[in-house]
Amino acid sequence: MKWTRKNPGWVMFAAMIGLLLFLWGMAIPLAAAPDPIGPAAKQFAEGARVTVWLTLISGSVGVVLGVIAGLGKLSAFAPLRWLCNFYVWLIRGTPLLLQILFVWLAVPQILPDSLQISDFACAAIALALNIGAYNTECVRAGILAVPQGQVEAARALGLSPFQTFMDIVLPQSMRVALPALANNLASLVKDSSLAYAISVVELTMVGYRIQAESYQPIPVFLTIAMIYLILTTAFTTLTAALENQLDVGRKRQENS
Amino acid sequence: MDTHQANLRPLIEAQKVSKHFGSFHALKEVSATFYEGQVTAIIGPSGSGKSTFLRTLNRLETHDSGSIRVDGIELNDDLKNLDAIRREVGMVFQSFNLFSHLTILRNVALAPIRVRKTSPAEAEAKAMALLERVGLADQAHKYPVQLSGGQQQRVAIARALAMDPKVLLFDEPTSALDPEMVNEVLAVMRELAHTGITMLVVTHEMGFAREVADRIIFFDNGVILEDTTPEALFTQPAHERTKAFLSQVKHGF
Repeated sequence: MKWTRKNPGWVMFAAMIGLLLFLWGMAIPLAAAPDPIGPAAKQFAEGARVTVWLTLISGSVGVVLGVIAGLGKLSAFAPLRWLCNFYVWLIRGTPLLLQILFVWLAVPQILPDSLQISDFACAAIALALNIGAYNTECVRAGILAVPQGQVEAARALGLSPFQTFMDIVLPQSMRVALPALANNLASLVKDSSLAYAISVVELTMVGYRIQAESYQPIPVFLTIAMIYLILTTAFTTLTAALENQLDVGRKRQENS
Repeated sequence: MDTHQANLRPLIEAQKVSKHFGSFHALKEVSATFYEGQVTAIIGPSGSGKSTFLRTLNRLETHDSGSIRVDGIELNDDLKNLDAIRREVGMVFQSFNLFSHLTILRNVALAPIRVRKTSPAEAEAKAMALLERVGLADQAHKYPVQLSGGQQQRVAIARALAMDPKVLLFDEPTSALDPEMVNEVLAVMRELAHTGITMLVVTHEMGFAREVADRIIFFDNGVILEDTTPEALFTQPAHERTKAFLSQVKHGF
Protein backbone atom coordinates (compact mmCIF):
# COMPACT_ATOMS: atom_id res chain seq x y z
CA MET A 1 0.00 0.00 0.00
CA LYS A 2 2.74 2.38 0.98
CA TRP A 3 4.73 1.66 -2.15
CA THR A 4 1.72 2.20 -4.41
CA ARG A 5 0.96 5.50 -2.70
CA LYS A 6 4.52 6.71 -3.09
CA ASN A 7 4.86 5.63 -6.71
CA PRO A 8 1.55 6.52 -8.35
CA GLY A 9 3.27 7.02 -11.70
CA TRP A 10 4.44 3.40 -11.76
CA VAL A 11 1.03 2.15 -10.64
CA MET A 12 -0.67 4.04 -13.48
CA PHE A 13 1.89 2.69 -15.91
CA ALA A 14 1.43 -0.87 -14.64
CA ALA A 15 -2.39 -0.60 -14.76
CA MET A 16 -2.28 0.68 -18.33
CA ILE A 17 0.15 -2.02 -19.48
CA GLY A 18 -1.97 -4.59 -17.64
CA LEU A 19 -5.11 -3.36 -19.38
CA LEU A 20 -3.47 -3.45 -22.81
CA LEU A 21 -2.02 -6.93 -22.22
CA PHE A 22 -5.42 -8.10 -21.05
CA LEU A 23 -7.29 -6.62 -24.03
CA TRP A 24 -4.97 -8.05 -26.65
CA GLY A 25 -3.81 -11.16 -24.81
CA MET A 26 -6.94 -12.55 -23.20
CA ALA A 27 -7.94 -14.53 -26.31
CA ILE A 28 -4.94 -16.83 -25.79
CA PRO A 29 -5.89 -18.31 -22.37
CA LEU A 30 -9.60 -18.08 -23.19
CA ALA A 31 -9.07 -20.17 -26.32
CA ALA A 32 -7.97 -23.04 -24.11
CA ALA A 33 -11.27 -22.96 -22.19
CA PRO A 34 -13.90 -25.62 -22.97
CA ASP A 35 -17.00 -25.02 -25.08
CA PRO A 36 -18.71 -22.56 -25.42
CA ILE A 37 -15.98 -20.13 -24.28
CA GLY A 38 -12.91 -21.43 -26.12
CA PRO A 39 -14.17 -21.18 -29.71
CA ALA A 40 -15.51 -17.66 -29.09
CA ALA A 41 -12.34 -16.35 -27.38
CA LYS A 42 -11.64 -13.82 -30.12
CA GLN A 43 -15.18 -12.43 -29.96
CA PHE A 44 -14.86 -11.90 -26.20
CA ALA A 45 -11.60 -10.03 -26.71
CA GLU A 46 -13.06 -7.93 -29.51
CA GLY A 47 -16.13 -7.11 -27.39
CA ALA A 48 -13.93 -6.07 -24.47
CA ARG A 49 -11.93 -3.78 -26.72
CA VAL A 50 -15.12 -2.11 -28.00
CA THR A 51 -16.32 -1.65 -24.40
CA VAL A 52 -13.01 -0.05 -23.38
CA TRP A 53 -12.96 2.21 -26.45
CA LEU A 54 -16.50 3.31 -25.80
CA THR A 55 -15.65 4.01 -22.14
CA LEU A 56 -12.46 5.93 -22.91
CA ILE A 57 -13.96 8.07 -25.66
CA SER A 58 -17.22 8.94 -23.92
CA GLY A 59 -15.41 9.24 -20.58
CA SER A 60 -12.92 11.83 -21.91
CA VAL A 61 -15.54 13.82 -23.78
CA GLY A 62 -17.72 13.56 -20.65
CA VAL A 63 -15.03 15.17 -18.49
CA VAL A 64 -14.69 18.07 -20.92
CA LEU A 65 -18.49 18.46 -21.02
CA GLY A 66 -18.58 18.29 -17.22
CA VAL A 67 -15.98 21.06 -16.86
CA ILE A 68 -17.75 23.28 -19.40
CA ALA A 69 -21.23 22.76 -17.98
CA GLY A 70 -19.95 22.90 -14.40
CA LEU A 71 -18.40 26.30 -15.13
CA GLY A 72 -21.54 27.34 -16.99
CA LYS A 73 -23.69 26.57 -13.98
CA LEU A 74 -21.54 28.97 -11.94
CA SER A 75 -21.50 31.65 -14.63
CA ALA A 76 -22.68 35.15 -13.87
CA PHE A 77 -24.39 35.14 -17.28
CA ALA A 78 -27.91 33.89 -16.58
CA PRO A 79 -28.85 32.35 -19.97
CA LEU A 80 -25.70 30.20 -19.86
CA ARG A 81 -26.65 29.07 -16.35
CA TRP A 82 -30.16 28.18 -17.53
CA LEU A 83 -28.80 26.24 -20.48
CA CYS A 84 -26.48 24.17 -18.27
CA ASN A 85 -29.19 23.58 -15.69
CA PHE A 86 -31.52 22.46 -18.45
CA TYR A 87 -28.88 20.04 -19.78
CA VAL A 88 -28.33 18.41 -16.39
CA TRP A 89 -32.07 18.36 -15.67
CA LEU A 90 -32.87 16.75 -19.02
CA ILE A 91 -30.18 14.07 -18.89
CA ARG A 92 -30.57 13.12 -15.24
CA GLY A 93 -34.34 12.99 -15.58
CA THR A 94 -34.51 10.56 -18.50
CA PRO A 95 -33.28 6.96 -18.87
CA LEU A 96 -29.88 6.37 -20.46
CA LEU A 97 -31.40 3.72 -22.72
CA LEU A 98 -33.86 6.27 -24.08
CA GLN A 99 -31.01 8.73 -24.69
CA ILE A 100 -29.07 6.09 -26.63
CA LEU A 101 -32.12 5.16 -28.70
CA PHE A 102 -32.86 8.83 -29.33
CA VAL A 103 -29.37 9.55 -30.68
CA TRP A 104 -29.53 6.39 -32.78
CA LEU A 105 -33.03 6.75 -34.23
CA ALA A 106 -34.02 10.40 -33.96
CA VAL A 107 -30.79 12.26 -34.70
CA PRO A 108 -30.27 10.65 -38.16
CA GLN A 109 -33.68 12.03 -39.15
CA ILE A 110 -32.52 15.54 -38.23
CA LEU A 111 -29.10 15.29 -39.87
CA PRO A 112 -28.70 15.49 -43.67
CA ASP A 113 -28.20 12.14 -45.41
CA SER A 114 -24.58 12.90 -46.19
CA LEU A 115 -23.82 13.23 -42.48
CA GLN A 116 -24.81 9.87 -41.08
CA ILE A 117 -22.94 8.49 -38.10
CA SER A 118 -22.05 4.95 -37.12
CA ASP A 119 -23.79 2.94 -34.38
CA PHE A 120 -20.62 3.13 -32.31
CA ALA A 121 -20.53 6.93 -32.65
CA CYS A 122 -24.20 7.16 -31.65
CA ALA A 123 -23.48 5.17 -28.49
CA ALA A 124 -20.38 7.26 -27.74
CA ILE A 125 -22.30 10.52 -28.14
CA ALA A 126 -25.19 9.41 -25.94
CA LEU A 127 -22.87 8.05 -23.24
CA ALA A 128 -20.70 11.19 -23.30
CA LEU A 129 -23.73 13.44 -22.94
CA ASN A 130 -25.00 11.26 -20.12
CA ILE A 131 -21.82 11.07 -18.05
CA GLY A 132 -21.14 14.74 -18.82
CA ALA A 133 -24.32 15.71 -16.96
CA TYR A 134 -23.30 13.69 -13.90
CA ASN A 135 -19.74 15.06 -14.13
CA THR A 136 -21.17 18.60 -14.20
CA GLU A 137 -22.30 18.32 -10.61
CA CYS A 138 -18.94 16.87 -9.48
CA VAL A 139 -17.01 19.64 -11.20
CA ARG A 140 -19.30 22.31 -9.79
CA ALA A 141 -18.79 20.94 -6.28
CA GLY A 142 -15.04 20.90 -6.88
CA ILE A 143 -14.99 24.51 -8.03
CA LEU A 144 -17.10 25.63 -5.07
CA ALA A 145 -14.64 23.88 -2.74
CA VAL A 146 -11.76 26.16 -3.81
CA PRO A 147 -11.55 28.91 -1.17
CA GLN A 148 -12.76 32.25 -2.55
CA GLY A 149 -9.84 33.92 -0.75
CA GLN A 150 -7.38 32.23 -3.10
CA VAL A 151 -9.30 33.57 -6.09
CA GLU A 152 -9.17 37.06 -4.56
CA ALA A 153 -5.45 36.69 -3.90
CA ALA A 154 -4.81 35.67 -7.51
CA ARG A 155 -6.89 38.56 -8.86
CA ALA A 156 -5.17 40.99 -6.47
CA LEU A 157 -1.81 39.82 -7.83
CA GLY A 158 -2.96 40.83 -11.31
CA LEU A 159 -3.77 37.40 -12.75
CA SER A 160 -6.58 37.55 -15.32
CA PRO A 161 -9.82 35.65 -14.66
CA PHE A 162 -8.69 32.99 -17.15
CA GLN A 163 -5.23 32.65 -15.57
CA THR A 164 -6.84 32.47 -12.15
CA PHE A 165 -9.08 29.66 -13.35
CA MET A 166 -6.31 27.68 -15.04
CA ASP A 167 -3.63 28.13 -12.37
CA ILE A 168 -5.63 28.23 -9.15
CA VAL A 169 -9.21 27.01 -9.48
CA LEU A 170 -9.03 24.15 -11.98
CA PRO A 171 -6.17 22.14 -10.42
CA GLN A 172 -7.65 22.36 -6.94
CA SER A 173 -11.22 21.68 -8.02
CA MET A 174 -10.06 18.61 -9.97
CA ARG A 175 -8.46 17.27 -6.83
CA VAL A 176 -11.79 17.54 -5.06
CA ALA A 177 -13.84 16.29 -8.00
CA LEU A 178 -11.61 13.38 -8.95
CA PRO A 179 -13.00 10.70 -6.59
CA ALA A 180 -16.54 11.44 -7.78
CA LEU A 181 -15.44 11.56 -11.42
CA ALA A 182 -13.71 8.20 -10.95
CA ASN A 183 -16.95 6.84 -9.55
CA ASN A 184 -18.79 7.99 -12.67
CA LEU A 185 -16.15 6.38 -14.87
CA ALA A 186 -16.60 3.04 -13.09
CA SER A 187 -20.34 3.33 -13.77
CA LEU A 188 -19.64 4.19 -17.38
CA VAL A 189 -17.70 0.94 -17.98
CA LYS A 190 -20.91 -0.91 -17.15
CA ASP A 191 -23.39 1.59 -18.60
CA SER A 192 -21.66 1.19 -21.96
CA SER A 193 -23.34 -2.23 -22.09
CA LEU A 194 -26.60 -0.47 -23.00
CA ALA A 195 -25.05 0.17 -26.39
CA TYR A 196 -26.00 -3.42 -27.20
CA ALA A 197 -29.55 -2.09 -27.72
CA ILE A 198 -28.41 -0.28 -30.86
CA SER A 199 -26.43 -3.27 -32.13
CA VAL A 200 -22.97 -2.10 -31.11
CA VAL A 201 -21.03 -5.33 -30.65
CA GLU A 202 -19.59 -4.63 -27.24
CA LEU A 203 -18.92 -7.11 -24.46
CA THR A 204 -22.50 -7.68 -23.31
CA MET A 205 -23.72 -8.05 -26.88
CA VAL A 206 -20.97 -10.64 -27.49
CA GLY A 207 -22.13 -12.59 -24.45
CA TYR A 208 -25.75 -12.39 -25.51
CA ARG A 209 -24.96 -13.74 -28.97
CA ILE A 210 -22.74 -16.57 -27.77
CA GLN A 211 -25.23 -17.81 -25.23
CA ALA A 212 -27.99 -17.62 -27.83
CA GLU A 213 -25.98 -19.89 -30.11
CA SER A 214 -24.78 -22.31 -27.44
CA TYR A 215 -27.76 -22.34 -25.06
CA GLN A 216 -25.26 -22.14 -22.17
CA PRO A 217 -25.88 -18.80 -20.43
CA ILE A 218 -24.13 -19.70 -17.16
CA PRO A 219 -20.49 -20.07 -18.33
CA VAL A 220 -20.91 -17.30 -20.90
CA PHE A 221 -22.30 -14.69 -18.53
CA LEU A 222 -19.82 -15.66 -15.80
CA THR A 223 -17.01 -15.05 -18.27
CA ILE A 224 -18.50 -11.71 -19.26
CA ALA A 225 -18.88 -10.72 -15.60
CA MET A 226 -15.25 -11.66 -14.96
CA ILE A 227 -14.05 -9.52 -17.86
CA TYR A 228 -16.10 -6.55 -16.62
CA LEU A 229 -14.63 -6.98 -13.14
CA ILE A 230 -11.09 -7.00 -14.52
CA LEU A 231 -11.85 -3.88 -16.62
CA THR A 232 -13.38 -1.94 -13.72
CA THR A 233 -10.48 -2.99 -11.48
CA ALA A 234 -8.00 -1.66 -14.03
CA PHE A 235 -9.93 1.63 -14.30
CA THR A 236 -10.27 2.12 -10.55
CA THR A 237 -6.58 1.31 -10.06
CA LEU A 238 -5.77 3.95 -12.65
CA THR A 239 -7.98 6.62 -11.10
CA ALA A 240 -6.81 5.80 -7.56
CA ALA A 241 -3.21 6.21 -8.70
CA LEU A 242 -4.15 9.46 -10.38
CA GLU A 243 -5.61 10.66 -7.07
CA ASN A 244 -2.31 9.87 -5.38
CA GLN A 245 -0.45 11.62 -8.16
CA LEU A 246 -2.53 14.75 -7.67
CA ASP A 247 -2.23 14.32 -3.92
CA VAL A 248 -5.94 14.19 -3.14
CA GLY A 249 -6.14 14.20 0.64
CA ARG A 250 -2.62 15.39 1.25
CA LYS A 251 -3.87 17.67 3.98
CA ARG A 252 -5.32 14.82 5.94
CA GLN A 253 -2.16 12.74 5.76
CA GLU A 254 0.08 15.52 6.87
CA ASN A 255 -2.07 16.79 9.66
CA SER A 256 -2.41 13.38 11.23
CA MET B 1 -7.50 67.74 7.20
CA ASP B 2 -4.45 66.13 5.73
CA THR B 3 -1.75 68.66 5.04
CA HIS B 4 1.23 67.12 6.72
CA GLN B 5 2.55 65.35 3.61
CA ALA B 6 2.13 68.11 1.06
CA ASN B 7 5.58 67.69 -0.46
CA LEU B 8 5.00 64.03 -1.42
CA ARG B 9 3.49 62.58 -4.56
CA PRO B 10 -0.10 61.35 -4.10
CA LEU B 11 -0.38 57.63 -4.95
CA ILE B 12 -3.97 56.85 -4.04
CA GLU B 13 -6.70 59.48 -4.22
CA ALA B 14 -10.14 58.46 -2.98
CA GLN B 15 -12.90 61.02 -3.50
CA LYS B 16 -16.30 60.65 -1.83
CA VAL B 17 -16.28 56.86 -2.05
CA SER B 18 -19.58 55.24 -1.09
CA LYS B 19 -20.49 51.59 -0.80
CA HIS B 20 -23.67 49.72 0.15
CA PHE B 21 -24.13 46.08 1.02
CA GLY B 22 -27.86 45.75 0.46
CA SER B 23 -29.38 48.33 2.78
CA PHE B 24 -26.23 48.59 4.88
CA HIS B 25 -24.29 51.78 4.15
CA ALA B 26 -20.72 50.55 4.60
CA LEU B 27 -18.84 53.61 3.31
CA LYS B 28 -20.26 57.12 3.39
CA GLU B 29 -18.48 59.48 1.01
CA VAL B 30 -15.01 58.61 2.25
CA SER B 31 -12.22 60.83 0.93
CA ALA B 32 -8.54 60.35 1.60
CA THR B 33 -5.25 60.76 -0.22
CA PHE B 34 -2.26 58.53 0.40
CA TYR B 35 1.23 59.64 -0.48
CA GLU B 36 4.26 57.82 -1.74
CA GLY B 37 6.37 56.33 1.04
CA GLN B 38 3.76 56.88 3.70
CA VAL B 39 2.81 54.16 6.18
CA THR B 40 -0.82 54.59 7.20
CA ALA B 41 -2.53 52.58 9.91
CA ILE B 42 -6.30 52.27 9.63
CA ILE B 43 -8.05 51.42 12.86
CA GLY B 44 -11.59 51.28 14.10
CA PRO B 45 -14.25 48.94 15.45
CA SER B 46 -15.50 45.89 13.53
CA GLY B 47 -17.98 46.79 10.83
CA SER B 48 -16.77 50.38 10.67
CA GLY B 49 -15.86 50.04 6.98
CA LYS B 50 -12.08 50.01 7.28
CA SER B 51 -11.57 46.65 5.54
CA THR B 52 -14.20 47.48 2.93
CA PHE B 53 -12.41 50.74 2.19
CA LEU B 54 -9.10 48.92 1.77
CA ARG B 55 -10.71 46.36 -0.53
CA THR B 56 -12.22 49.05 -2.77
CA LEU B 57 -8.70 50.37 -3.42
CA ASN B 58 -7.86 47.38 -5.68
CA ARG B 59 -11.48 46.72 -6.56
CA LEU B 60 -11.97 43.49 -4.65
CA GLU B 61 -15.09 45.47 -3.74
CA THR B 62 -16.65 47.82 -6.26
CA HIS B 63 -17.62 51.28 -5.02
CA ASP B 64 -21.12 52.57 -5.75
CA SER B 65 -20.12 56.20 -6.22
CA GLY B 66 -17.18 58.53 -5.90
CA SER B 67 -13.82 58.06 -7.57
CA ILE B 68 -10.58 56.27 -6.78
CA ARG B 69 -7.35 57.00 -8.63
CA VAL B 70 -4.27 54.86 -8.11
CA ASP B 71 -1.04 56.28 -9.47
CA GLY B 72 -3.13 58.51 -11.69
CA ILE B 73 -5.26 55.66 -13.12
CA GLU B 74 -9.02 55.78 -12.57
CA LEU B 75 -10.41 52.61 -10.97
CA ASN B 76 -13.53 51.65 -12.90
CA ASP B 77 -15.01 48.81 -14.94
CA ASP B 78 -12.28 49.17 -17.55
CA LEU B 79 -10.37 45.90 -17.19
CA LYS B 80 -7.21 47.38 -18.65
CA ASN B 81 -7.10 49.99 -15.90
CA LEU B 82 -7.85 47.34 -13.32
CA ASP B 83 -5.02 45.08 -14.48
CA ALA B 84 -2.63 48.03 -14.50
CA ILE B 85 -3.65 48.98 -10.98
CA ARG B 86 -3.51 45.47 -9.58
CA ARG B 87 0.05 45.13 -10.84
CA GLU B 88 1.02 48.14 -8.73
CA VAL B 89 -1.00 47.32 -5.63
CA GLY B 90 -0.02 44.32 -3.51
CA MET B 91 -2.37 42.88 -0.93
CA VAL B 92 -1.90 40.79 2.20
CA PHE B 93 -5.03 39.14 3.60
CA GLN B 94 -6.15 38.25 7.09
CA SER B 95 -6.41 34.56 6.19
CA PHE B 96 -3.16 34.47 4.12
CA ASN B 97 -4.90 32.92 1.07
CA LEU B 98 -1.81 31.09 -0.14
CA PHE B 99 -2.39 28.78 -3.09
CA SER B 100 -2.57 25.46 -1.28
CA HIS B 101 -1.68 23.25 -4.26
CA LEU B 102 1.56 25.10 -5.00
CA THR B 103 4.89 25.06 -3.17
CA ILE B 104 5.93 28.13 -1.21
CA LEU B 105 8.43 29.03 -3.94
CA ARG B 106 5.80 28.65 -6.66
CA ASN B 107 3.32 30.72 -4.64
CA VAL B 108 5.77 33.62 -4.72
CA ALA B 109 6.95 33.13 -8.31
CA LEU B 110 3.58 32.55 -9.99
CA ALA B 111 2.37 36.12 -10.51
CA PRO B 112 5.66 37.45 -11.97
CA ILE B 113 5.73 34.50 -14.39
CA ARG B 114 2.11 34.89 -15.48
CA VAL B 115 1.58 38.64 -15.25
CA ARG B 116 5.02 40.13 -15.84
CA LYS B 117 6.10 37.28 -18.16
CA THR B 118 9.33 36.87 -16.22
CA SER B 119 11.18 33.66 -17.08
CA PRO B 120 10.53 30.91 -14.50
CA ALA B 121 14.20 30.67 -13.57
CA GLU B 122 14.47 34.41 -12.97
CA ALA B 123 11.16 34.55 -11.09
CA GLU B 124 12.17 31.68 -8.83
CA ALA B 125 15.56 33.21 -8.13
CA LYS B 126 13.81 36.42 -7.11
CA ALA B 127 11.23 34.48 -5.08
CA MET B 128 14.08 32.76 -3.27
CA ALA B 129 15.65 36.12 -2.43
CA LEU B 130 12.31 37.38 -1.09
CA LEU B 131 11.83 34.25 1.00
CA GLU B 132 15.33 34.81 2.33
CA ARG B 133 14.26 38.32 3.29
CA VAL B 134 11.26 37.08 5.29
CA GLY B 135 13.40 34.32 6.82
CA LEU B 136 11.77 31.35 5.08
CA ALA B 137 14.24 30.30 2.39
CA ASP B 138 14.56 26.90 4.02
CA GLN B 139 10.80 26.30 3.62
CA ALA B 140 10.71 27.06 -0.12
CA HIS B 141 9.83 23.57 -1.25
CA LYS B 142 7.14 22.88 1.32
CA TYR B 143 3.42 23.40 0.85
CA PRO B 144 1.40 26.08 2.70
CA VAL B 145 -0.36 23.55 4.94
CA GLN B 146 3.03 22.50 6.36
CA LEU B 147 3.77 26.01 7.65
CA SER B 148 2.57 27.80 10.76
CA GLY B 149 0.18 30.74 10.42
CA GLY B 150 2.94 33.25 11.02
CA GLN B 151 5.14 31.63 8.40
CA GLN B 152 2.26 31.54 5.92
CA GLN B 153 1.64 35.24 6.40
CA ARG B 154 5.33 36.00 5.84
CA VAL B 155 5.11 34.01 2.59
CA ALA B 156 2.02 36.02 1.64
CA ILE B 157 4.02 39.21 2.14
CA ALA B 158 6.84 37.85 -0.01
CA ARG B 159 4.27 36.89 -2.66
CA ALA B 160 2.89 40.44 -2.71
CA LEU B 161 6.41 41.90 -2.90
CA ALA B 162 7.32 39.69 -5.86
CA MET B 163 5.28 41.96 -8.14
CA ASP B 164 7.29 45.01 -7.00
CA PRO B 165 4.14 46.88 -6.03
CA LYS B 166 4.16 50.61 -5.35
CA VAL B 167 1.64 50.16 -2.56
CA LEU B 168 1.03 47.29 -0.15
CA LEU B 169 -2.41 46.87 1.39
CA PHE B 170 -2.61 44.84 4.60
CA ASP B 171 -6.06 43.67 5.66
CA GLU B 172 -5.75 42.77 9.36
CA PRO B 173 -2.60 40.74 8.69
CA THR B 174 -2.19 39.49 12.25
CA SER B 175 -5.82 38.99 13.30
CA ALA B 176 -5.95 35.29 12.39
CA LEU B 177 -2.66 34.46 14.10
CA ASP B 178 -1.89 32.83 17.41
CA PRO B 179 -0.45 35.46 19.76
CA GLU B 180 3.07 34.06 19.69
CA MET B 181 3.18 34.40 15.90
CA VAL B 182 2.05 38.01 15.71
CA ASN B 183 5.52 39.41 16.36
CA GLU B 184 7.31 37.55 13.58
CA VAL B 185 4.86 39.06 11.07
CA LEU B 186 5.03 42.53 12.60
CA ALA B 187 8.84 42.33 12.46
CA VAL B 188 8.72 41.74 8.70
CA MET B 189 6.23 44.60 8.26
CA ARG B 190 8.37 46.91 10.38
CA GLU B 191 11.41 46.12 8.25
CA LEU B 192 9.32 46.80 5.13
CA ALA B 193 8.08 50.13 6.45
CA HIS B 194 11.68 51.27 6.81
CA THR B 195 12.42 50.52 3.14
CA GLY B 196 10.14 53.38 2.11
CA ILE B 197 7.38 51.36 0.43
CA THR B 198 3.89 52.85 0.70
CA MET B 199 1.77 50.83 3.11
CA LEU B 200 -1.87 50.91 4.21
CA VAL B 201 -2.44 48.66 7.20
CA VAL B 202 -5.85 47.85 8.62
CA THR B 203 -4.94 46.60 12.05
CA HIS B 204 -5.91 46.07 15.66
CA GLU B 205 -2.26 46.19 16.75
CA MET B 206 -2.20 49.59 18.40
CA GLY B 207 1.43 49.21 19.49
CA PHE B 208 2.48 48.59 15.91
CA ALA B 209 0.33 51.44 14.60
CA ARG B 210 1.82 53.85 17.07
CA GLU B 211 5.39 52.77 16.51
CA VAL B 212 5.55 52.27 12.74
CA ALA B 213 2.83 54.36 11.12
CA ASP B 214 3.40 57.93 9.88
CA ARG B 215 -0.31 58.53 9.85
CA ILE B 216 -3.34 56.99 11.46
CA ILE B 217 -6.95 56.95 10.35
CA PHE B 218 -9.81 56.13 12.67
CA PHE B 219 -12.89 54.70 10.96
CA ASP B 220 -16.30 54.59 12.56
CA ASN B 221 -19.68 53.87 11.04
CA GLY B 222 -18.50 54.20 7.44
CA VAL B 223 -16.73 57.55 7.82
CA ILE B 224 -13.22 58.69 8.65
CA LEU B 225 -13.55 60.24 12.08
CA GLU B 226 -9.92 61.15 12.62
CA ASP B 227 -6.98 61.41 10.26
CA THR B 228 -3.84 62.48 12.06
CA THR B 229 -0.48 61.35 13.41
CA PRO B 230 -0.33 58.34 15.76
CA GLU B 231 1.12 60.56 18.48
CA ALA B 232 -1.81 62.96 18.32
CA LEU B 233 -4.43 60.23 18.12
CA PHE B 234 -3.16 58.25 21.06
CA THR B 235 -2.43 61.23 23.32
CA GLN B 236 -5.26 63.63 22.44
CA PRO B 237 -8.05 61.97 20.47
CA ALA B 238 -10.45 64.58 19.11
CA HIS B 239 -13.66 62.58 19.39
CA GLU B 240 -15.43 60.87 22.26
CA ARG B 241 -15.91 57.83 20.01
CA THR B 242 -12.14 57.54 19.49
CA LYS B 243 -11.51 57.82 23.22
CA ALA B 244 -14.02 55.08 23.93
CA PHE B 245 -12.49 52.83 21.25
CA LEU B 246 -8.96 53.38 22.49
CA SER B 247 -9.86 52.65 26.09
CA GLN B 248 -11.52 49.42 24.94
CA VAL B 249 -8.55 48.16 22.94
CA LYS B 250 -6.00 49.30 25.51
CA HIS B 251 -6.87 46.27 27.59
CA GLY B 252 -5.31 44.24 24.82
CA PHE B 253 -1.74 45.55 25.16
